[in-house]
Amino acid sequence: MCKGYRNLEFDMINKLKYFLIALSFVAISCNNSAKKDSTTSEDTSMETSETAKISDMSIYNLPSHWTTQDGEEIELKELQGKVLAMVMIYTSCQAACPRLVADMRNIEKQIPESKKDNVQYVFVSIDPETDTPERLTAFAKENQMEDDKWLFLRGTEEDTREFAAVLAVNYKQISPIDFSHSNIISVFNQGGELIHQQEGLGVNNKETVQAIIDLAK
Amino acid sequence: MKFKIKQTSLKNVALTIGAMALLTSCVNTQSDKTYENAVDIPVNQEMVAELTDPPFVPTPVGNRLAKKLIVDLEIQEREGEMVSGVKYIYWTFGGTVPGSFIRTRVGDEIEFRLKNHPDNKLPHNIDLHAVNGPGGGAESSFVAPGHEKVFSFKTLNPGLYVYHCATAPVGMHIANGMYGLILVEPEGGLPPVDKEYYIMQGDFYTEGKYGERGLQAFDMQKAIDENADYVVFNGHVGAMTGDNALTANVGETVRLFVGNGGPNLVSSFHVIGEIFDKVYVEGGDLVNDNVQTTLIPAGGAAIVEFRVDVPGSFILVDHSIFRAFNKGALAVLNVQGEENEKVFAGEIYEGIYQPEGSVIQSMPTSGSSKPKEEIKALSFEEKMKFGKDKYMATCVACHQGNGQGIEGAFPPLANADYLNADVDRAIDIVLHGKSGEITVNGKKYNSVMTAQALSDEDVANVLTYVYNSWGNNKTDVTPEMVNVVRNRK
Amino acid sequence: MKLYSTTLFLVCSILFFKATAQNDSMALVKGGVYLPLYGASGQTVKVDPFMMDIYPVTNEEYLKFVKENPKWKKSNVISLFADKSYLTKWENDTTYTGLPNAPATNVSWFAAKKYCECQGKRLPKIDEWEFAAMANEKVADARRIESYNQYILSWYETPRTFNNPIGESYKNYYGIYDLHGLVWEWTQDFNTVLITGESRKDGDKNPNLFCGSAAIGASDLMNYAAFMRYAFRGSMKARYSSQNLGFRCVKDIEI
Repeated sequence: MCKGYRNLEFDMINKLKYFLIALSFVAISCNNSAKKDSTTSEDTSMETSETAKISDMSIYNLPSHWTTQDGEEIELKELQGKVLAMVMIYTSCQAACPRLVADMRNIEKQIPESKKDNVQYVFVSIDPETDTPERLTAFAKENQMEDDKWLFLRGTEEDTREFAAVLAVNYKQISPIDFSHSNIISVFNQGGELIHQQEGLGVNNKETVQAIIDLAK
Repeated sequence: MKFKIKQTSLKNVALTIGAMALLTSCVNTQSDKTYENAVDIPVNQEMVAELTDPPFVPTPVGNRLAKKLIVDLEIQEREGEMVSGVKYIYWTFGGTVPGSFIRTRVGDEIEFRLKNHPDNKLPHNIDLHAVNGPGGGAESSFVAPGHEKVFSFKTLNPGLYVYHCATAPVGMHIANGMYGLILVEPEGGLPPVDKEYYIMQGDFYTEGKYGERGLQAFDMQKAIDENADYVVFNGHVGAMTGDNALTANVGETVRLFVGNGGPNLVSSFHVIGEIFDKVYVEGGDLVNDNVQTTLIPAGGAAIVEFRVDVPGSFILVDHSIFRAFNKGALAVLNVQGEENEKVFAGEIYEGIYQPEGSVIQSMPTSGSSKPKEEIKALSFEEKMKFGKDKYMATCVACHQGNGQGIEGAFPPLANADYLNADVDRAIDIVLHGKSGEITVNGKKYNSVMTAQALSDEDVANVLTYVYNSWGNNKTDVTPEMVNVVRNRK
Repeated sequence: MKLYSTTLFLVCSILFFKATAQNDSMALVKGGVYLPLYGASGQTVKVDPFMMDIYPVTNEEYLKFVKENPKWKKSNVISLFADKSYLTKWENDTTYTGLPNAPATNVSWFAAKKYCECQGKRLPKIDEWEFAAMANEKVADARRIESYNQYILSWYETPRTFNNPIGESYKNYYGIYDLHGLVWEWTQDFNTVLITGESRKDGDKNPNLFCGSAAIGASDLMNYAAFMRYAFRGSMKARYSSQNLGFRCVKDIEI
């Protein structure tokens, strides 16, 4: 009896193996077709809803395009996959922005070596007119933030306003060279969902650092 | 066998004792430990706060341990009645003015959920004076209509505290009724008393004068000038009079939690016929004994306690006395029970103190001044209603609610021969006043009635009401008749 | 990027092309200079001329938009762009409650923005909106006139005006209705209002919360009618919606 039982088990395991292999093939092919869908739907993303990968609360739902400090054009969703720490500033700012930059640097220092690769630090300019890619590169250099983990973005005025609205960052131009804006550092997970925000300058960033560590792989 | 039984019964007894010991230790009473800093007081479990509408208060905290207390408060902008015939849009915490009473104890950790009803037009927030933190919670609770904000704080100081809205323009939000009280009881709770009530004074500023009919809008200029039209307890005139009067029994100790929402005026709080045995000055720890009248600052509070020894009506007032009788700062505590002749013996007339309204009253004259026209009554029913409103606001102080007057002082209007004999004479008395001896229903009266500065419409309405009530001869007095009498001399 | 926006524009216009008809329901607001309530202290702002919708967008019009852009239907909209109160009073995706010509409310900023874009228009800036709304029936700047302020304040006291049809408030100097008296309205840059919600401190801007905010104060503390609008804007977030909040669109003038 026992023998028979064992045979049955063995049979089942085999069957299961084949079944799983078949399933994985199906899955792979499904994934492929899904990728195809997303590329074709880029231009007409107005009509179709996004692929299931991005949740409803992900900022990658915003179709806006941005320029980096290197003059490269990217879509926001290209940042998917990394934990993001984001802040909105402008380079000619004398008052708070230097402190925000320092805050970001401070946070970066506290991320353990093993996780550093999974985190991207993003500065979004609220003064796209002044902050050209050249200006952004110069700013990066001044602040010794030239390696890949530091990303500086600028977009159109409208896209910037829309992005700020998503982050609940308020800002206003009060003179040709000066802006008033809220001082907020936002943390997004790899899927682009807003997980944590830290408001104010010189605020204890322990919670922010912890949030990033918890999310990073 | 016997032995076995003994064993099992012994076991049972032991078990029961053990169970009881376990249970009693689980009961939520005060542990022996006292903490120097309120910050260190631990919380034990969660509880949803019981919120009450004025003038009632939630159950005392008694011996309970500090808890995580969940407070759920909704802001509603709604229409109410300031005094009969006068409508006002109140902005409220919890649907009432003042807002719901929040009862906590020292060391509670409060999770405050502030909701702004979707029908509301404006964003609001809350500043609780019991909070140790920026804005008293105002920044963290700024909430748009249709949304909810949550913030938390720990009560560190015992006392009676005001809470109010702090959204720009702050004065306007407070003036429209956005204030209330939060009580933080000390460890062990306040000493128990027989009755506790919640009263809050506030000043209101309207475009029209006191008593002017219709929906009245808030008047910013008057508020800035601190020229109040209404000064009331609990949001409107008469909130605690008549059927809504507070009650107590002879021999009971009554505790009143009295707040002052302002926005501008300080209160000189007094209970006519009583002395405060204890006053927790400004709602804090300092206790003053045997006080007649206590000051309650705008944005402040006080706790008063007194024992009622004799039955009767005790009137709560702001002793800046024109506010009590002419602007509505008057409430009633009715005490029932056995007389105590030693403490007080004497004739008691009901209704010696009544609201008199804001009609300017002057000494008898023969002049003919005419104030501006108001909304005209259209039908007989409306005349009766408007007339009754005016009577209850102005004439009732002397002639009483059913026209019965006060013997020896103010003549009756009910079934009164003097009144029914001559309509024009009655009109003349209302317009110009009267002094000297008259005989009404066989009794002599020799007093002074002041001239009433009322429009022709108002005189017509009031007299129509009087003539059509209490067995009088049902004359219908018209504004034209009044005009004739007014211009006669 | 340019290709993308043109495609977007074409797609929207094909679905919702009514450009000529729209001009009939818009009015010209001649530009000018004014002193805003919240701005760089004491500095006047120049407003360029623009065209503004005469009425706010109605339920009927919004229904059309939602039918042609199913992504914005109540059951489809993603939570990044609208919270749970989006079209909360609509019975289902294609049935609103209330009058067809009552203003469309319970729409988020993203939805309002998209609606205007699909019309070839945009949301007004705060300065444009305030500039047009300064007018009463007769003059372009009525802010010092008592009856103008009175009208607004008594509207604040009137409950449930969002149920009323458009066009019942006064026709102002530019021929535009309902800037006051009906519902609050979204603006393109509502998030330039730096109010913390702790309004007693808003007079002394917290420099830690808002960079450069010491420079912005309320220019006229007596103008409390306007205060309310700014306080309301300050309390909103882009994905929020509210029963008392609708919108209208504006268009730049091609010179």
